Amino acid sequence: MSSPVGDKTRAIRDALAAALRPEGVVAHQGELEVRICAGTACHASGRPAVTAAFKDELATRGLSDKVRVVETGCHGFCEQGPIVVLQPKGIFYPRVRTDDVAKIVEASIVGDDVVENRLYKDPKTGERVALEKDITFYSGQKRLVLALNGKVDPYSIDDYLTLGGYEALAQVLVDDDPDKVINVVTDSRLRGRGGAGFGTGVKWSFTRRSPGDEKYVICNADEGDPGAFMDRSVLEGNPHVVLEGMTIAAFAIGAHEGYVYVRAEYPFAVERLARAIEQARERGILGEDMLGSGFSFDVHINQGAGAFVCGEETALMASIEGKRGMPRTRPPYPAVEGLFGKPTNINNVETYANVPWIIRNGAEAFAAMGVGNSRGTKIFSLTGKVANGGLVEVPMGSTLRHIIFEVGGGMLPGRQFKAVQLGGPSGGCLPNEMLDTTIDYETLIATGAIVGSGGLVVVDDTTCMVDLARYFLEFTQEESCGKCVPCRLGTKRMLETLERICEGDGRDGDIELLEELSHYVMDGTLCALGGTAPNPVLTTIKYFRDEYEAHVNEKRCPAGKCKALITYFIDPEACTGCTLCAKKCPTNCIAGDKKQPHVIDVGNCIKCDTCRQVCKFDAVKVRSGIEHAAGVAGEA
Amino acid sequence: MLGMFKAMRTTLRHLPMRKITVEYPEQRDRLPERSRGLFRVVIDPASGEPRCRACTLCETNCPVQVIRVNYTSKYQLAVPNVARVATRRLEAQPDVDLKKLQPVLDDFYAHGTGLIAMLQQTQDVYGYLPRVALQELSLQRGESLSRLYGVASFYNQFRMSPVGKHVITVCHGTACHVAGAPLVTDAFCEELGIEVGKTTKDELFTLQSVSCVGACALAPVVRVGDDDTHGRMTPDKARKLVADLRASEGVE
Repeated sequence: MSSPVGDKTRAIRDALAAALRPEGVVAHQGELEVRICAGTACHASGRPAVTAAFKDELATRGLSDKVRVVETGCHGFCEQGPIVVLQPKGIFYPRVRTDDVAKIVEASIVGDDVVENRLYKDPKTGERVALEKDITFYSGQKRLVLALNGKVDPYSIDDYLTLGGYEALAQVLVDDDPDKVINVVTDSRLRGRGGAGFGTGVKWSFTRRSPGDEKYVICNADEGDPGAFMDRSVLEGNPHVVLEGMTIAAFAIGAHEGYVYVRAEYPFAVERLARAIEQARERGILGEDMLGSGFSFDVHINQGAGAFVCGEETALMASIEGKRGMPRTRPPYPAVEGLFGKPTNINNVETYANVPWIIRNGAEAFAAMGVGNSRGTKIFSLTGKVANGGLVEVPMGSTLRHIIFEVGGGMLPGRQFKAVQLGGPSGGCLPNEMLDTTIDYETLIATGAIVGSGGLVVVDDTTCMVDLARYFLEFTQEESCGKCVPCRLGTKRMLETLERICEGDGRDGDIELLEELSHYVMDGTLCALGGTAPNPVLTTIKYFRDEYEAHVNEKRCPAGKCKALITYFIDPEACTGCTLCAKKCPTNCIAGDKKQPHVIDVGNCIKCDTCRQVCKFDAVKVRSGIEHAAGVAGEA
Repeated sequence: MLGMFKAMRTTLRHLPMRKITVEYPEQRDRLPERSRGLFRVVIDPASGEPRCRACTLCETNCPVQVIRVNYTSKYQLAVPNVARVATRRLEAQPDVDLKKLQPVLDDFYAHGTGLIAMLQQTQDVYGYLPRVALQELSLQRGESLSRLYGVASFYNQFRMSPVGKHVITVCHGTACHVAGAPLVTDAFCEELGIEVGKTTKDELFTLQSVSCVGACALAPVVRVGDDDTHGRMTPDKARKLVADLRASEGVE
């Protein structure tokens, strides 16, 4: 029995099946494969040479046609790059160097063994772990968005199609019911992953209900937060999942044109995304009458030009229109009046990447993860003084302790946990006592920090919290677009005050002044940049007030970071007289004979920290306190 | 007291009225009905001559006969200002070859490239945004030079002066900052004798900082050019990097 509806369903299914060209598939199940991570960090630590070495080695052994070498998207374990995973077993080799390649091929590809001393070493137990799935960094995670990262070749749409890609889109097109899509997304309780956490389904329904034939969808990939790189990794590792999510959103709201606004600092992401769009067009998945459904949608890439404020939605749209990227007042919200004055739906990369999963697995499965009003998973980029930095995807409601000490493997050897900085320049620093805080939108706001885009920077006792606050304010001050006076001048005054404190010229009442200014800045600005810029200052004052007081009252930097407040000296007990520091000193201010303790001429010392870094005996130390610095310099 | 009420009355009376102010220049109120605008002759960058071939098509077709084509030499154009700009800008920066801008303009005329993308392409051509190129873009797009400068100066990516052969970029993301990026920058400044954002006199090095390159696992990160990334930097390694680059150029 054939009905028009049944015909259309079959047509879409057939078109999707036809889009796959099996000869292009690289991710064959069960075949021998060398998967090399081609993320930015692995690339910078020598991925191209490792790939070449594997290809050469396999060619010399005549194995080129039996074993495939695939460069995949980011595996997320950036600390251990370049990463190589051997399939089908999943043997994981971290920090591979070109001279290891022959050994690895010999043992694990030709033979059935592992190169024991090149395997990953667990930082806690010290044991070697062979398989990717057994590594705590991966086993402690719940990967939804990142599931296919590291499994697919980002340049191949066939890889993505083999693993169920664009199924969700086909299903949506078959159902042909935009309201149903919006209901599913609303029921899943997915919230925007870019920082503000607005309900995605609600946003879509607003845009859908806005009058007008011409509507747009925008993907915000202007990931400006220093220390956050999850959007980049998703775009670099699996660009199709973002395209699929965007297309579903376009169908739901009735848009036919979309823009992806990517930072120009991410050249790989731009290149891979452009390739993905091209492939999807070729196969009839994007463009006119996609998959024979009658629905049309196309995507353009728009490169940013290095302005942090363009991550704000109205500023981003101004930038696409070719203007200075300045935010404007809301309402009207983009859902009513957005790009080129038309209703626009704008979501973050990670938000779109969640959508195909939700459509495939249902709203209940997604809502089952997480706590309270925060559902699903969230990717964090864990960096700083932590043993296993990288991309961590965990269900909402996980504790900071779980992320840092279970998944992240704890602190680097010999380092003491001091604080964790969440959410970049808009977020805050949380101390040791707050480690059991669960990560969800509401709980974190109560602490003064935010989920933000998901940057987690772990700092140790050598980091000065006042300096860290100063650093963030320097950033927001630089990036403030200048439209709102409280943001333009308020952050400037705050920065000056913090600089004064770090220089040892802090005055009584400076801390209170910072708090007072913070509230003016937060109240008097249009967009979230100004509204959250004081967060790093407020949270560091809240949790580390003693450090501020030490700077202001005692002219002392407890962490030994603020240059004006410290002096370098050599401990005569520990110094062996190896002369290494004297050789490395750029100003030749270290004197001493061989095998005799050395002395630093404090008057000429520029405090570049080189001597302390090169000393193998920890003999170079830092003294804190301005009277000390001045006194010794005076003597010299 | 009475004065205050008077003022309040004025405010309240105007409250329900239609707003008459607009956010210029983003929004422009409709021009008066009889407004005519201005004609402009586009100058071809390759030759420096006007694109107008004096075909007189516009003259014959104009319904109200306001166009008159004068057959004169190119320096006595009907819009003399344009000709003056054309000659003066070429004299100002003789080393900037405007012919290289042609592909950018072709792309604009073919696809209507957005302004930011156009500036990015121009920067790819010259390595920075030369004033003459911006003037050219302003003429071709029919947008004021001040608007182009406004956009170009807003974004960190655009540079208004030439860069050195090696552009050294120090990442100042949070992870890099706590791992010691400021010390690395200080070492570069000391070694090169320049501030951040400046170019050395021999035009070999430009030092700049960037807010995050997203390679936090390798903090602190330094990039030379577009692709040469150095991770886990120290002041000592920074000095060595400069020495190596200088050696590769044969400079002491």
